[in-house]
Amino acid sequence: MAAPFTLRKIGVQPNSANLTEARRRVFDFFRAACRSIPTIMDIYNLQDVVAPSQLRFAISAQIRNNAHVTDPKVIDLLLFKGMEELTDIVDHAKQRHHIIGQYVVGEGLVQNTGSKDQGKSDFLKNFYTSNYF
Amino acid sequence: MSTTFCSSVSMQATSLAATTRISFQKPALVSRTNLSFNLGRSIPTRLSVSCAAKPETVEKVSKIVKKQLSLKDDQKVVAETKFADLGADSLDTVEIVMGLEEEFDIEMAEEKAQKISTVEEAAELIEELVQAKK
Repeated sequence: MAAPFTLRKIGVQPNSANLTEARRRVFDFFRAACRSIPTIMDIYNLQDVVAPSQLRFAISAQIRNNAHVTDPKVIDLLLFKGMEELTDIVDHAKQRHHIIGQYVVGEGLVQNTGSKDQGKSDFLKNFYTSNYF
Repeated sequence: MSTTFCSSVSMQATSLAATTRISFQKPALVSRTNLSFNLGRSIPTRLSVSCAAKPETVEKVSKIVKKQLSLKDDQKVVAETKFADLGADSLDTVEIVMGLEEEFDIEMAEEKAQKISTVEEAAELIEELVQAKK
């Protein structure tokens, strides 16, 4: 049995220099989150509610939601917030209904599964900016 | 003198004599039939290259890959299938690796996991780790 994974509390890291390093950090974060899943299921008693693969999918969906970002600093900040969320969850600072509502239940309660506005409609873009176009 | 190889094929050499250079031209699937490396002298009989993964492992890996990428059951996934060909991006690959870690109860080092691109490589790495655990 592999040794249980513990989240190391690293402080704020310096900004990543380029997109490659930001990518690496994203994958490191994803791996840390996935390895914490057994702990999370244990803390919040999610064994009957959800499978680990579903939680992995939820995490990857959140990451994919922001997949269009190209600025390394923005990516760093998103990772910081993600890490903060993960630390809160692992520290049992949240409660079971938070986890279930935010990561388990599908379209019902989760608000941000859809991708952000990626420029599908020029009309809407103009509409949001001003009345005259 | 250390052996150098440019692909992620794992070699279990029981004890290699000194100054043995083995270089692969391209990261191709190496089976016992198409081994081709340049040695100055004859291959020592102690050298054993185990590179073909067991079929059950490949089968399990394919099952997980199919489930992860939501492929239909009749989609052909063989050992040489690349994840990218099945429509997986890099995040999918990492997720597949994590799924495999959970299934086989192993921990993959990050550098090795980054290099995985086909089903065969994943199966080999898994077997290596499972062997090391015993």
